[in-house]
Order: sequence, then structure tokens, then C-alpha cells
Amino acid sequence: MAFELPGAVYSPQLLEAVTFDIERYLDWYRETKIQKKVGAKGKEEPTHSAETVLVIEAWLGGKPATVESLEALVKYLKELKWPQVHVMLAALPNRSQREALVDWFRANTTPHLFLSFVADRNLGGGVVIRTPNRVFDFTWKQELVAGRDKLAGIIRRV
Amino acid sequence: MEIIILAGIVLMLAIVVVAQSFQLRKADQQKKLQAAQPKPVAVSEPTAAELDAKLKTAYEAKITEATGTFGEDLKATSQKLSEQVSRLTTTVIEEELEAYQKTLEEVRKVATQAMEQIHQAVEHQRVELRQGMEAELAAEKKVLADKFDAKMGDIVASYISESLGSGVDLGSQMQFILTSLEAHKEDIRKDLLGGV
Repeated sequence: MAFELPGAVYSPQLLEAVTFDIERYLDWYRETKIQKKVGAKGKEEPTHSAETVLVIEAWLGGKPATVESLEALVKYLKELKWPQVHVMLAALPNRSQREALVDWFRANTTPHLFLSFVADRNLGGGVVIRTPNRVFDFTWKQELVAGRDKLAGIIRRV
Repeated sequence: MEIIILAGIVLMLAIVVVAQSFQLRKADQQKKLQAAQPKPVAVSEPTAAELDAKLKTAYEAKITEATGTFGEDLKATSQKLSEQVSRLTTTVIEEELEAYQKTLEEVRKVATQAMEQIHQAVEHQRVELRQGMEAELAAEKKVLADKFDAKMGDIVASYISESLGSGVDLGSQMQFILTSLEAHKEDIRKDLLGGV
């Protein structure tokens, strides 16, 4: 079964944060192991984000975690070169809205992509999608401009 | 002695000759003076009256004759002059009138041509002006329409964003956003897969 990055890790920044968490954890684990051997008191286990847990769980698929498997995960994550889609909305989406959008993109286009979210109040409503080579403008403003004939008709009627 | 007597005689003769010569010269001068001065004619009174009457008659006849001749000459001259004036007047006026008419005709022709040219130029200008104005109007209309389109989009967007204020409800937009994405998912997918 192929590894699928959880929807919560949707951006390169989040991926970098997860990778950093895992690397830090591995460093801590190695140091602690040596310190235990020499009887020294080690540092406290480092904290990690919920996204890191989700990624590790998805990577292990129910198997026990080993240093080798985590190192393989770090390697895999560092080698990921996925296209990025920039999503511009009138406001930053909340968690559920963000997940809905990430899920839609990964389900309907390709699961191997990153998303970034930007807010611009001037949009009023709708969304602007910027893919590597194109810009898709689905804003209300664009809809209104595209329907200028209707507007002219309404103005004439009124 | 004889010689003295002879000399005396010669002298005497010489004196006589000189005296006579002097007298002759004087007489000659007097004659010349007399010849130069008119000699008064002595005419009798009846003769003078007769001569006067004849002279008067002749004078009157000559005057009458001269007056008649002068009158005839004057009449003939006047007639000729009148004819000449009449001919001159008629000819000159006719020639002048003809020349005037010709000139007038030429002027009229030139004026007509000029008018036609002006009319054509004005018509040409009018057509050009009209075309230019139509083109300018069309361009201006297009510019205004473009501006209107651009501004209308901004106005509507600004109006919407200002009306919504800071409370933009993405939840109510999600359906619209997902529907828009769904309608173009193939294009988005193609670009993502092609842009890897």
C-alpha cells in the first residue's frame, strides 16, 4: 500500500516542520540511548505536533516504529518534490474548510500536491487558484465581469 | 610861274570836283530819303468816297464769302466728327462689351470651377471628418467600455468586500468554490500533472 501524506500536512512548510520534528526525535533517541549506556541522565523527550503523529502513523501502517523506519520516512519526506497550488480566498479558511479543500484537490486532481492558502479581502468572494502554469479565477468579481452583458441589460431595464 | 598857275588851276579843279562830289552825295542821300518816305497821294474827295465805297463792298463780300466757307467747313467737320464719334462710340462700346462679356464668362467659368473644387474639398473634408469622428467615437466608446468593465469589477468587488466588512463567511462560499473547482477540475489536473 502506497504511503499517502495525511490531509493535515498540506503545505511544504508543514512538511518541513514534520520532518524537523522527526529528525529532532531521532537525534534525541540516539543521544538518550548513548546516555543510558553510560548511565548519564538524558534530556526530556522532545514534543511533536499532531501532524507529525499522523504522518508517522500513516507511514508505519500499524507496524512498530524503528529508528530505521523513521530514518526512511525522513529520507522520503526530504525527497518529496510535489507541485504546489496556491489558493487565494476572501479570508483564511478554518480547519474544516481547509480540510475540505485539501481533500477535494487530492481526490480530484492528484494526491501528490501541496497547497498554500492566502487571504485577500478584496476578492469579496470565490477563489483564485494558481497552479504551476495557470491561474484560475473563480471569484465573484470575475463572474460579475464575465456577465457584464447581463449587467448592461439590467441597467438598461432599470 | 606857269607851273604855279597850272597847279593853281589843278587845285581849283580839284576843289571843284570835291565840291561837286560832295553835292552829288548829298543829293543822292536826299533822294534816298525821299524814296524811303511815302509820298502823300493826293486824292480828291469824291474819288476817296468812291474808293471807300468800293473797299467796303469788297470787304463785305470777302467777309460774307469767308463766313460761308467757314460755316460749310464747320458743318462738314461737325458732321464728320459726329460720325466719327458715333462710329467710335458704337465700335468701342461693342468691343468693350464683347470683351467684358468674354471676361465675365471666363470669370464665371473660373468661379464655377473654384466653387466645384471648394465643394469637392468641403465634401471630402466632411467625409474625412465624419470618418475620423466616427473612429474617434468608436475608440472612445471602447475605452469607456473597457474602463467601465474594469471599474465595474473593482466597484462591485469593493462594494461586496466593504459590505461584508471583516466578517467574510467562507462557509457560505464553500459550495460555490467547490462547484467552480469541480467544473474545472480537468484543467487543473492537467496543469498539475504536466507541471511536475
